[in-house]
Amino acid sequence: MVESKQQWKAWLYLAPAIVLLMVFTVWPIVNTVRMSLLEGYSGLKAAGGATFQFGFGNFEKVIQYRRFVQCLRNTVLLCVWTVPISTFLALLIAVALNSIKPLQKALQTIFFLPYVTNSIAIGMVFAAMFNIVGSFYGTQNEIIVTAGIINNVIEFFGGKPVNWINYGSSYMANMTVMIVYIVWNALPFKILILLGGLQSINKQYYEAAKVDSAPRSRVFWRITVPLLSPMLAYVIITGFIGGFKEYTSIVGIFGEKMGPPDDAGRLNTMVGFIYDSLSANNQGRASAAALILFGIILVVTLINLQVSKKRVHY
Amino acid sequence: MKKLVSVFLALLMMLGLCAPSLAAFEVPAEGYDGSEVTITFYNTMGSNLTAVLDEYIAQFNELYPNIHVEYSSVGSYDDVRDQVSTEITVGNQPNIAYCYPDHVALYNLAKAVQTLDELIESDVTVTRADGSTEKLGLTEEQRADFIEGYYKEGQEFGDGLTYTMPFSKSTEVLYYDKTFFEANGLTVPTNWDEMEETCAKIKEIAPNSIPLGYDSSANWFITMTEQYGSEYTSATEPHFLFNNETNRAFIKRFSEWYNKGYLTTQKLYGAYTSGLFTSTSEVRCYMCIGSSAGATYQRPAANADGTYPFEVGITTIPQVDASNRKVISQGPSVCIFKKNNPQEVVASWLFVKYLTTSTDFQAEFSMASGYVPVLKSVDTNEVYADFLSKADGGNYISALSAKVCLEQADAYYTSPAFNGSSTARDQVDILLNKCLPMSGDNVDAQIEDAFEDAIDECEYSF
Amino acid sequence: MTQKSMSVMHDRDLGKTSARQKAGKALVYFGIYAFLILMALIVLFPFYWMLISSVKSLEEYRLSTPTLWPRMILLGNYAEAFTTAALGRLFVNTLIVGVVSTILSLVITVLTAFAFARLEFKGKELLFAALLATMMIPGELFTITNYSTVTTFGWINTYTVLIVPFLVSVFYIYLLRQNFLQIPNELYLAAKVDGTSDWKYLWKVMVPLSLPTLISITILKMMGAWNSYIWPRLVANDEAHRLITNGLRNAFTDTTGDVNYPVQMAAVALVSLPLFLVFVFLRKYIMSGVSRSGIKG
Repeated sequence: MVESKQQWKAWLYLAPAIVLLMVFTVWPIVNTVRMSLLEGYSGLKAAGGATFQFGFGNFEKVIQYRRFVQCLRNTVLLCVWTVPISTFLALLIAVALNSIKPLQKALQTIFFLPYVTNSIAIGMVFAAMFNIVGSFYGTQNEIIVTAGIINNVIEFFGGKPVNWINYGSSYMANMTVMIVYIVWNALPFKILILLGGLQSINKQYYEAAKVDSAPRSRVFWRITVPLLSPMLAYVIITGFIGGFKEYTSIVGIFGEKMGPPDDAGRLNTMVGFIYDSLSANNQGRASAAALILFGIILVVTLINLQVSKKRVHY
Repeated sequence: MKKLVSVFLALLMMLGLCAPSLAAFEVPAEGYDGSEVTITFYNTMGSNLTAVLDEYIAQFNELYPNIHVEYSSVGSYDDVRDQVSTEITVGNQPNIAYCYPDHVALYNLAKAVQTLDELIESDVTVTRADGSTEKLGLTEEQRADFIEGYYKEGQEFGDGLTYTMPFSKSTEVLYYDKTFFEANGLTVPTNWDEMEETCAKIKEIAPNSIPLGYDSSANWFITMTEQYGSEYTSATEPHFLFNNETNRAFIKRFSEWYNKGYLTTQKLYGAYTSGLFTSTSEVRCYMCIGSSAGATYQRPAANADGTYPFEVGITTIPQVDASNRKVISQGPSVCIFKKNNPQEVVASWLFVKYLTTSTDFQAEFSMASGYVPVLKSVDTNEVYADFLSKADGGNYISALSAKVCLEQADAYYTSPAFNGSSTARDQVDILLNKCLPMSGDNVDAQIEDAFEDAIDECEYSF
Repeated sequence: MTQKSMSVMHDRDLGKTSARQKAGKALVYFGIYAFLILMALIVLFPFYWMLISSVKSLEEYRLSTPTLWPRMILLGNYAEAFTTAALGRLFVNTLIVGVVSTILSLVITVLTAFAFARLEFKGKELLFAALLATMMIPGELFTITNYSTVTTFGWINTYTVLIVPFLVSVFYIYLLRQNFLQIPNELYLAAKVDGTSDWKYLWKVMVPLSLPTLISITILKMMGAWNSYIWPRLVANDEAHRLITNGLRNAFTDTTGDVNYPVQMAAVALVSLPLFLVFVFLRKYIMSGVSRSGIKG
């Protein structure tokens, strides 16, 4: 009797969450799979009574689509650049922070600041820093009013100003801006986790190393990194997952055009692609793209886990 | 748990199936039966226009007190399209919406737009609240009063049926700094060769200027194809025909202009080029091609004494062939959506008819909006005639722009509307902006690639 | 130099140092501090640039040689930013959505976490595993269908649509359940003997004991409302319900042309300010919440 009463009660406690999850999580999963397998599925056409063939047509169309390949390439490039750079920088900063006493708390707070910002808002600040104001033609007719603070700094050191994000800017320049911004944005979380990890490493390991009079670089690669490996694996995995979902940082800098004015969509990502398909009333292809994204994240995560199983020392 | 899922899915499916019936509309025998209905109207009107609308809704309600009109200003035309097309998928679309032909082509995928022919031709008599009666359909005079080109636009969906009613119209016009042109003895260009010469001259006079600003790159591309008589799109397959020699050639020509600093577009500049046209700094435009409905934005800010820093001139956009003038027809039409309750459809029709056939409304709305009326009889409206007679390059700039529009009523064109026509429009917009900054030895190859990409994009989305 | 500096930190644990070593150590510390301060300056630079730009006049901002400190502090930019972007309305909307969704979300999270931590029912483990599995799925996958679901419900352009779909967070449930599990069973059994109901026990004992976790959840949830962009843009982009991030991006869409950057920067500063304040006062909770979450907002 008590048993069944408890059962009831438990479900009552769970009811609000279950209902919401059914509507906004379970049903979408089922529906996404369904729509992705109906060729050319569009909500509008469905409302008009159209029927759709069952098959993998959406996936085929999406994979062969130039724009999709472009989005995939952008996303992958951003991941493979930003994750290693930000992880390495965060590791350096965390180790340095861990080795000092005065100012440690203050510096730690500063390094965490980018986390409590709005990635669109600060993206606009970065855009302002890289932006060239004036009528920029890339010819003798150009009238540069302000080259942007970053270009001012480059010029100060004797370099030539670069057209970072304005019209006529190169893909390389655009990507550089994105990488700088994403790394800046990704540092705080990684530093926080890695520093937490460092602080929990048992000092005895180092004492032992000292007795063996191991060189410092060896201590770093043989003791610090292995002992930190669970945290490193964690920040790398979450970094990749976040990287594959990159979208708002690009909106912050380039606006919803997702590219410089003369080449809208140049920097579009997987997530952007899904939203574009959605607003083009192409729910079938949007679903297919979302499932592909899920597949990629799953595979990358599994690979990461596999690697860390071999490399991570607990 | 499993049961719960299946019950839930069943529920959702039922909701999804509440779409309106797809059969052709049958006008109820009694027309509008006087029952209480609420009709919703999505538009893009700002507060100055909703004030006019409010006034006429009140008058309409004196005739039909039980028809409640609720309107909402959804945002831009694209916002209206996006919201309506989402709502159609779940069956709760509005009754009436502002629309462009491309939008209707999209809604037609869902067969959601009510064709109006049955209503237009209906002989049913409807009794109003004040005891008077009206014919549900359009009378001979009402039908004949519409400017033919505008009315026909509602029928160009391949099947000859009427899907939309014209609401108010605009086109593109060339704004120029009349003061500057007169001071420097420049003549206003009427064709593209003259435009090139004029730009070169302006560049000599004011080296830091960008002589021409063109707001809508999509309009520019499509208008050029019309003026050259080259192909753009077709309502029948193959749909996307714009990758041809003529089109590549004019794009290349404009790209050369761009690289000489002759012009910019809204996309490339980042804002409406009217900002450059009205600017008082050195970096500014002396000519600007933009919507005739936006005339007040092309007027520089007034001086302290109420005069303007310069006078604005308005004229037809440059042409390829003066004997075959082509200017784009823009501005909203309205469409009525299918609903399960035929009374809602009839009530919507009564309201649409009321607005589109009322000379007073058309006159007043046009004066407030800068659009031009869709009825010929507005010419006889005293207030509107008075408004037009005041046309100048300052305080009455809207009147001037309306006048220029009305003078070229024979030059309006519309492009085919089909599922995919809006993509084509988006793509040529991107295409033009992508090609303008191109320079170097292999510019032909770059332009060809860009055209092929644009065609690919169109084919993909189709 | 950097690698050296990293390994050198362990030296301090060893007592034996010669004068030469001391000097080397000082040099290494100097290197470490120089590196950290340089990095800190780089991290801070965007904030600095935002703040000084926000008080410059447009003329000064557009000087080809920029001034590193404004010649004249123009606070009027803030007033202009506030009106240009209609920030007042955006703040209110964001606050309403943030507060309501946080409260409801906390209640649901507490109830669910309690059921998973303390109550017994069939399929508990399986259900919990299923919940955790959904965390793997990218949110975009849900959005496609949720968009049409909320349209069906007629929720477009309401506060409801900004609140309800995200009330359940599996991650928060997981976090709180872990916390609940740490509360000793004896307490629960003792309460049972005393005849305290589950309901009372939950709110009187368990919730107060898990306060730090609940505060972390609250902050993360509020930050989420503050930063959310994609969903609000899709479903509530009308003036009456638009949220802060979206409004900001909308008010200043242009990256080229005659943009009044000082005003834009002032708006960005105003939008960033509340989060900074929260951070200053609740640093501990935010950092502990974040280090367990791995998600941004």
